[in-house]
Amino acid sequence: MEQIFTLKKMERKLQHADRKHARLYLFCNFTALMIISAYSGMMLSPTVQKAFPTGGDSRKQMNAIFMLTLIGCVVFTVYAASLFFRHKSGQLGILMALGASRRRLIPGLFREVLLLSGLSSVAGTLAGFPFIWVIWTGFRLIMIDSSDMKLSFDFRCLLISLAFLLVVVAFSCLTAWRYLRRTNIMEVIREEHINEPVKELGKWCAPVGGILIALGVLAGYFMPVIYMRKFNTLSPVWLSALYLPALAGLYMVMLHAVVHGFRSYKRNPYKNIIARSMMKFQGKQTVNNMIVVTLLIAGACFGIFYIPIISVGAMMGYDAQPFDYFYHCRADQAMPEKEDIDALAGEYGLSLKDWGEYDYITLGFGNYGDVMEEDGEHWHTEYAPISGEEMAISEEAWNRLTGEEIDVLPGTYLCITNREETSLYVNTNARHLTNMVTRTQLSTQCAGLLHYDLLGGDRQCRVLDQGDYEKLSEGLTDDWKGTLTAFNVEGEDSYPFANALFRRLIASNGEDCFTSKEYSRVTSILAREEGKEDWQERESERSFMYVDPKEADSIVFRQNWKYKPSFRILSQNDFLLSTSVFLMMFLFIFIVCILTALIICHTRCQTIALNNRYIFDDLKKLGASPAFLKREVDSQCGGVFKVPALVGMVAIYLIFILLLYGNDGRIAFSEVMALAVCLGIELVLGGLIYGVYRFTARGIRRKLGIGGN
Amino acid sequence: MLYVKNLHKSYQVGKNKYEVLKGIDFHVGKGEFVAVMGPSGSGKTTLLNCISCYIPFDQGEITIGGARLAGQSESELAKLRNTQIGFVFQDFMLLDGLTIRENILVPRIVQGEVSEEAQELADKLTGLFGISHIVNKYPAEISGGEKQRAAVARSLINNPLIILADEPTGNLDSKSSRAVIESFGEARERMGATIFMVTHDSFAASFCDRVVLLKDGSIYRQLENNGERGSFHDKLLAAIKEMAE
Repeated sequence: MEQIFTLKKMERKLQHADRKHARLYLFCNFTALMIISAYSGMMLSPTVQKAFPTGGDSRKQMNAIFMLTLIGCVVFTVYAASLFFRHKSGQLGILMALGASRRRLIPGLFREVLLLSGLSSVAGTLAGFPFIWVIWTGFRLIMIDSSDMKLSFDFRCLLISLAFLLVVVAFSCLTAWRYLRRTNIMEVIREEHINEPVKELGKWCAPVGGILIALGVLAGYFMPVIYMRKFNTLSPVWLSALYLPALAGLYMVMLHAVVHGFRSYKRNPYKNIIARSMMKFQGKQTVNNMIVVTLLIAGACFGIFYIPIISVGAMMGYDAQPFDYFYHCRADQAMPEKEDIDALAGEYGLSLKDWGEYDYITLGFGNYGDVMEEDGEHWHTEYAPISGEEMAISEEAWNRLTGEEIDVLPGTYLCITNREETSLYVNTNARHLTNMVTRTQLSTQCAGLLHYDLLGGDRQCRVLDQGDYEKLSEGLTDDWKGTLTAFNVEGEDSYPFANALFRRLIASNGEDCFTSKEYSRVTSILAREEGKEDWQERESERSFMYVDPKEADSIVFRQNWKYKPSFRILSQNDFLLSTSVFLMMFLFIFIVCILTALIICHTRCQTIALNNRYIFDDLKKLGASPAFLKREVDSQCGGVFKVPALVGMVAIYLIFILLLYGNDGRIAFSEVMALAVCLGIELVLGGLIYGVYRFTARGIRRKLGIGGN
Repeated sequence: MLYVKNLHKSYQVGKNKYEVLKGIDFHVGKGEFVAVMGPSGSGKTTLLNCISCYIPFDQGEITIGGARLAGQSESELAKLRNTQIGFVFQDFMLLDGLTIRENILVPRIVQGEVSEEAQELADKLTGLFGISHIVNKYPAEISGGEKQRAAVARSLINNPLIILADEPTGNLDSKSSRAVIESFGEARERMGATIFMVTHDSFAASFCDRVVLLKDGSIYRQLENNGERGSFHDKLLAAIKEMAE
């Protein structure tokens, strides 16, 4: 046997003997870096960056959950490092007690720290990319494959991993230094066996925590809105601090779960006493871990909820469409005639029915807008007689299209919205309608709402009195006029026909029609007339204001084209295709958050149980039955898994209800259905977490040699 | 050899300050085997930890072999611990990843080099304490008594001025306890070691030349062993009983 006769060799031998502890540290570091590198790789990939609109809610959600994951991973690695060094401190303490000075120990310790954290971090960072590739490819193979789904990376994402890696290494070195600089060597030696109990608060802390969570969420969500309305300026960043009581509340709820538990032990105060005590005396880290897990589970739900929230309403809308095919086009474009479409349908064995063509005009409409003050920070609201462009149809066209019999009074209009009145584009404020060619202007006012999904969603349209319509149409050039076309097909519809017609419509439109639905020719004209810059033409805005017909299958084109048709079969089939990157990203977020949360729970349970192995051994000696020991292990693991899962899932569900309600002050039927799907997802997720909890508990029982698995 | 003068040490627990040592004065001469006894909380282990420079003390003076501990730098204290003091812990404090022979040599390894002489001394010590047959085993593979004898051998590897032992028989059965105490005796006789031991075990203490009785942080009484172990044990028990009343 080789004899160890130098400090370096001795340290190497001790490191080898400690590989079991190092393995946990390596695993945690590796996993955290893999998750960070994968998330940042996905988030910053050109594919995702292109699909997620700048400043959009989806991008904000993606960034917010990334921050959450980042915090989770920081806590995770800090925890792993502290576990590793708690064990290491015993060794350091003995060497210090035997006369090893700090200076002698530093090189070996730092060499080990740098080697372990460096290797695991680099390996984790690199593993992030195959991780993305596996999920991405799996998604393309199993779910959707579209032209948008080409995987590409912006390797600047590595800077985030690098920053995290530096934090991990710095923290590890700092922890190592903290142990070495202690003057009380006995503390260093006994560090591993020192408990970390939490300060006990009364049983009031759970209800107070619950109230703080609710207050924090409500204040954080509503106060910026109230501030903006009250002071007519963007809310300051510090208002986000109003969310902090929610975190304090979460801490209190978790503290209650660890110290008191949520069951009443009045009748049987000794029930689960071992598990409760173990939790209590490992309390500090347990509470921290549980908070992070709660936030990660909430983040995971937030990500996965995105899918039903956007898809359920859309799918219900497609089903309820009164026409199989509905589109609009400008009169100055060479649009296909009915005969052409008939012939095209014939190629696919289809015949058309219920054909209808309805004229529309595009007018300038008045509206209120925010006008920035000279200070560049505050604004005031001001009515402008010409604010933007919108479509208008006559009452005759409306009656023909819908079969209704309405009579619009002269000097008024009726705004069209969708059935659930969730459209964001309805403008009932207009008091002026303007022919943008002759500048004939009509004073008017809104007389109410009409409901029609095909005209009340992205298309902004209103119904005018026949006389007003004709008066405003006079002198309009063809580019301000157009036709709405609607028809059904006999029998079963054909996706290839819908797709062919879609391509035909794209081919029939001229270059100036490939703008996004946000683009307004009226805004452009007004800017030109006032000698101002048209902000829509800025380089930074062009990618949002224009669409490229060569990318007809892209998410951007299918969601944003101003003249996008509403073909039921195309929408139903291509919904996943046109939202693939969003779905992919949010599914990815879900996987990453859940994975991180489950790993943290699993590791924490293992640590609590295995650090207290001697308690189980003693209990065995005292005659505890396998069933009793099993119950204690299950109870201890249950607390770590169940409470964060329950709190995270319930909280995020309530927050989603709040968000949906906050959008328009009510919850529409499609949103209720989406919430029902979300509830179903939570049940499945709960099942998954329960499965991992059982798996973890079984593994611990096996390691502790407790029978009756 | 060891001088302790007016030693004070207190612990801060939350807002409360507990004075554990209240002006301790005593000395241990070269080649003496001295034990400290006293009830739990009397300050025995704290006294030992202060002497071994494991924890800082508030006031007073400790001198080992003429060197004052107060005011020494961290590296000077480390050197002192390494070369002048041998320590035996209650729970052995052997490094699990090293063999018994390597554990015995750790104080030399910490110095930077292990000479032929040190290896010969390690062999001599293992022979002296009857653990030659386990030198290539790991701590997990041997008994508590063997571990503690290995720890005693480790404490002697640098020919220290004094061996400080904290409850060395606390975790052992009577047979192993006797073997460990006998190994202290061997160390004193064969190597001229000075031993200062904290113990609860009156039987172990009865092997000492002198016993210092501590009560509530102060020295209650010192008892001299006049040669006959049995009668000294009885005297010790009587003094302990008196102290408890």
